[in-house]
Amino acid sequence: MAGATLLRRAGQLLRQKDGPLTRDLLRHPGRFGLGQVPVRLSPDQTTTMVCGFCSTGCGLQVHLRDGQAVNLSPTTEYPVNLGMACPKGWEALAPLRAPDRATVPLLRNARGRMEPSTWEAAMALMVTRFKAIADKHGPASLAFLSTGQIVTEEMAFLGALAKFGMGMVHGDGNTRQCMATSVVAYKQAFGFDAPPYTYADFEESDVLVFIGANPCIAHPILWERVCRNRHKPAIVVVDPRKTETAMAATHHYALRPKSDLALLYGLAKVLLDEGWIDTDYIAAHTTGFDAFAAHVAAFDLPRVAADTGLPAERIRELAALIHGGKRVSFWWTMGVNQSHEGVRVAQAIIDLALCTGNMGRPGTGANSITGQCNAMGSRLFSNTTNLLGGHDFANAEHRAKVAGVLGIDEARIPTQASLAYDQILEQILKGKIRGLWIVATNPAHSWINQKFAHDVLSRLDFLVVQDMYTTTETAAMAHLMLPAAGWGEKDGTFINSERRIGRVKKVARAPGQALADFHIFRLVAEAWGVGDMFRDWSSPEAVFQICKRLSRGQPCDITGITDYEMLDREGGVQWPLPEPAAGTAPAPPPERQRRLFEDGRFFHPDGRARFIVDDPRPPLELPSKDYPLVLLSGRGSSSQWHTETRTRKSAVLRRLSPSEIYVEVSPPDARALGLLPSEWVTVVSRRASIKARAFITNTVQPGQVFIPMHFATMNHLTFPAFDPHSRQPSYKHCAVRIERAVV
Amino acid sequence: MSSTGVPDSVSSAIRSPLLALLPAGQAQRPSLVETLLRQQQDLTSLTAADRFSHAHDQLEAATVPAQAKYYRDLIPLERPKPGQQYAFEVDLDACTGCKACVAACHSLNGLEEAEVWRTVGLLHGGTPEAPTQQTVTTSCHHCVDPACMRGCPVQAYEKDAVTGIVKHLDDQCIGCQYCVLMCPYDVPKYSKAKGIVRKCDMCSDRLAQDEAPACVQGCPNQAIRIAVIDQSQAIEASQAGMFLPGAPAPDHTLPTTMYKSARPVPHNMLPADFYSTSPEHGHPPLVLMLVLTQVAVGAMATGWFARHVLGGDAPAGAAALPGTGLGHAVFTLVMALSALAAATFHLGRPLFAWRALLGLRTSWMSREILAFGLFAKVGVLYALSLAADSLPQFPGKAMLVALGPVWEAGAAAIGIGGVLCSAMIYVATRRAHWSAAPSIFKFFGTTVMCGAAAVAWLAVLGPADGGAGRTSLRGLLVVVLIAAVSKLGFEVAVLRHLRERQHTVWKRVALLMVRDLHNLTLARFLLGILGGVLLPAALLASLGPGVTIAGGTIVAVTAMFLFLVAGELLERHLFFKAAPASRMPGGLS
Repeated sequence: MAGATLLRRAGQLLRQKDGPLTRDLLRHPGRFGLGQVPVRLSPDQTTTMVCGFCSTGCGLQVHLRDGQAVNLSPTTEYPVNLGMACPKGWEALAPLRAPDRATVPLLRNARGRMEPSTWEAAMALMVTRFKAIADKHGPASLAFLSTGQIVTEEMAFLGALAKFGMGMVHGDGNTRQCMATSVVAYKQAFGFDAPPYTYADFEESDVLVFIGANPCIAHPILWERVCRNRHKPAIVVVDPRKTETAMAATHHYALRPKSDLALLYGLAKVLLDEGWIDTDYIAAHTTGFDAFAAHVAAFDLPRVAADTGLPAERIRELAALIHGGKRVSFWWTMGVNQSHEGVRVAQAIIDLALCTGNMGRPGTGANSITGQCNAMGSRLFSNTTNLLGGHDFANAEHRAKVAGVLGIDEARIPTQASLAYDQILEQILKGKIRGLWIVATNPAHSWINQKFAHDVLSRLDFLVVQDMYTTTETAAMAHLMLPAAGWGEKDGTFINSERRIGRVKKVARAPGQALADFHIFRLVAEAWGVGDMFRDWSSPEAVFQICKRLSRGQPCDITGITDYEMLDREGGVQWPLPEPAAGTAPAPPPERQRRLFEDGRFFHPDGRARFIVDDPRPPLELPSKDYPLVLLSGRGSSSQWHTETRTRKSAVLRRLSPSEIYVEVSPPDARALGLLPSEWVTVVSRRASIKARAFITNTVQPGQVFIPMHFATMNHLTFPAFDPHSRQPSYKHCAVRIERAVV
Repeated sequence: MSSTGVPDSVSSAIRSPLLALLPAGQAQRPSLVETLLRQQQDLTSLTAADRFSHAHDQLEAATVPAQAKYYRDLIPLERPKPGQQYAFEVDLDACTGCKACVAACHSLNGLEEAEVWRTVGLLHGGTPEAPTQQTVTTSCHHCVDPACMRGCPVQAYEKDAVTGIVKHLDDQCIGCQYCVLMCPYDVPKYSKAKGIVRKCDMCSDRLAQDEAPACVQGCPNQAIRIAVIDQSQAIEASQAGMFLPGAPAPDHTLPTTMYKSARPVPHNMLPADFYSTSPEHGHPPLVLMLVLTQVAVGAMATGWFARHVLGGDAPAGAAALPGTGLGHAVFTLVMALSALAAATFHLGRPLFAWRALLGLRTSWMSREILAFGLFAKVGVLYALSLAADSLPQFPGKAMLVALGPVWEAGAAAIGIGGVLCSAMIYVATRRAHWSAAPSIFKFFGTTVMCGAAAVAWLAVLGPADGGAGRTSLRGLLVVVLIAAVSKLGFEVAVLRHLRERQHTVWKRVALLMVRDLHNLTLARFLLGILGGVLLPAALLASLGPGVTIAGGTIVAVTAMFLFLVAGELLERHLFFKAAPASRMPGGLS
């Protein structure tokens, strides 16, 4: 017996099919509807929360053990992502464990080094320095730069604290870099900043027109929704580059960069000339059509073909596609928003949707896809350009309403909107703004014309940076660094692109003494001496209730959302959801997919949408003899996010993205320059010259080059042009030349 | 102001207790900072809320995974029949480069932090008028004839008889990483921390439970499915060279993944990483092992040759010629044993190295290990036979001594076989730069050159004997000179590929040598020319008739030997480093 066992053991040792290494990968049923999960990472509970990267707002089922996140997978039933996630979502927990997390407040000492400190000392320093600046130079000498990356409750707290509590006049957010154009376009056209669609529209359209959008890479889960469209839709991509999305589309229009306004007006003219418009809809729900018709009359096909570089017959073909569709939806992203005339381009898209009656029905709409996870929250509650709740600082009634809801003195509310981001930097340059508080954004990498921006930020008397990481380019410039907890380490809500409010939850412990931004704002309020003003702001959910009250009667009214629990139960809730009138029956659960303007009533007092037009203007920096190439920029891969302060912290995401900066050059240009594939070249603009590896590819057109925005030196090249209406920077067009690097 | 420089008003404000958050009557009230820090670390609020939610209970009770409704159509209904197997089927038209498959595999399989079993590459081409790009998701191809399995010296791979899934037995693996070199698709991934290789097993446990593999579950566009294929179909496709543009030729391993597309693929599609070649791992223990075994075998064989061919009438068993006696045998043994010791440093789990003979039937690595093991053992017998005089009497001693020439010839022959096995390890990978001609020529070049140099060195170190020593030394030097010139010439000839227009594997090797590895290349040729050409030539010129071997000669021969060995170590380092990886189309680096 013993001999046989011994023999078997010996045999097993000779050919070992089980053991600790095999068991390391063992899986078992994960319960909670999960299917098999690694035994090592087996949950005892799960909870769903919204992802903290982009505005898609995917639901992630976080696998918890003893209340702490050990893993996650996309939530099957969440109405946004239907059980899928992009790599950033899958890896959302990894950046929390990074070694460069800020764990204690850091003060810059006399030798210029950052040294660890305490919260008490940090608060004291921040308050004394800021108050000293304000005492000497006036309250407008302090400003803040906020973000689309923190929860709505924190945004509202920051905006209220800075403006009503600390007396600041100016504050803006990094949303200026991604969404300002859409905000202005919608406000002017619809009467309120209201993206009208719901994600089901991707599945309902028979023609989808993407303009300046690359959802395959930038919003993969929205592309998933397109793939689920069962109507064999025509998918049109208008983009100078042959992007992944252009490849997957049925039609690609590789127009000349920044010629979209001419194209859209040319399309409108064809539609008008052919009578391919919805006159009933125009008459019933819009104003300004005659001026629109008169304006686009000048955009005949030969002119538009010359402007866009597209053959006239292809422009006609696109107009016919739009006409042929019963449910046509238009989608745009940064290719439109980050432009010197983006507002008018966005409005030209809206014009097309209005004149063809593609609005308010399933599968239609002029739809801006947002960038950041809570850009939409920022648009309503950041208290920068808009007064809290989508109100107007200049409107006395609005100020009175907000003061009433918050129980504060109306005089504390500024009577004007903040200066825009670029204007705040200008004020710093002029010495008017001397103290700046930057929260969860990285302007020392992301702002346009970076060398200038860097220089401006370095002129501040006192710079406070509040961030998760000590290593961001901006944190490196701070006088005081406040360690913040990140997504997954705190509670609150995000609002996604389709206006869906979803939950963010605390599923991990913040490292060291890092605190949720919410807690930091409480500390600052107390330290500044305005703690009493924020007594009711005791928890994120309490602030959510305040935000609800602020939204009452607005287009974004969310008084019908009872509490966080309801958001959980319903898989997020889209705004608006007003409270049922007093005395009526309790409302049934809201529909899971709701779009705006189904009744054709817009938010202008007359209920009508506006046609808005303007003359196209050439970009401010055109190619020349010395700088013959147009530099385009954009997302590099689905695994990279903005300045990569977080995505670089995941080993998996790092493996899925290029580690070195590269410039895409077309083969004809490469031949003319004598470039070898994959060699290092110098890219020179009037502002800077940087090194990049040449990637010779046909996906960029001759005369154009492309560099992904995630690499810090990229923004050294960009030209600081701004849309005059939205003040959004035009990142995607400047003139450069390429030189072979001297080896 | 307080002593800390904090204004009292401020500091008392943030230290003031927040009454609402505290139980009544607590004497020592924490400051606001303390309260907030405690709140920050508290994770209980969430767990309580979710634990009792209805939806949560429902989910917990579910027996079928919620995701099943998305992947039900993406996995086969039936198990494969004989002659069939499971295979990945990739719809290229649906793969748009989001790479969720890679991350899903990582998370749902609990891989190491940086470990990935799937990659997404990029093909691009077309013309400026009709540009084309295609992202390609790829993982293990669960080949009909898996090279990983063939190469594995310890049978740590098995191909499932029913499903055809190629599984890796993690606890069986000794971490030799030969499968990494054998797989043309760069599939097995070595974990330094664990000392083993791991790879995709098509989530076989999931498939067994009618669950989809993680990548299939994770693809938002349903681009990956599991199909049942006829193996003959995969064989036919591979024979016709049909697999994926830019991928290594499929005829070697017969991969089963099917890439499908309704779109015409331009003929000029190139992987995005086609022009970016980076140096591979240098494998120092393998470098040491290879060069030292070749020095040992070379010395052994040269000794035999010198004695029996050059030495002519020398009595058997006696050290008739300088450099071929007991010292020579001991030197050979020291080299061989050092080589084997070095080899264990290459293994992730050297304690299990004893399993290495399991793969004899298919693995050149098993054969190499066997050959060099025998070489060392027979070498010991040879040394003992030479040292018999100083050994005590023991049974069979006479036989041991009598068989001395057999031990010597046997060790030399086995050693030569071992060097051949070494070369075949690399030839078997079917990589152009490791094909038979360069591998065999380099390995035997080292063997001959260093063997002759070693014997020459031992000869000058031995007792001076005038004429005979000089004659044999001249012979050995001539051998060194001829071998070195041919070998260096062969190696430098690789650089002619730099002028090729096509970006061949050999051009990549040459580019790596002159770009990324130019210092290594330069050092290699300097040492080779010094030790293999200049010193032997100078020695030959100085060793005329009547010249006795003096101190200067000893120094020169010693230097020659050391330079040569150092040069060969660098050559072997280049052999691994300037070796373009074989893999599926990659993305931008």
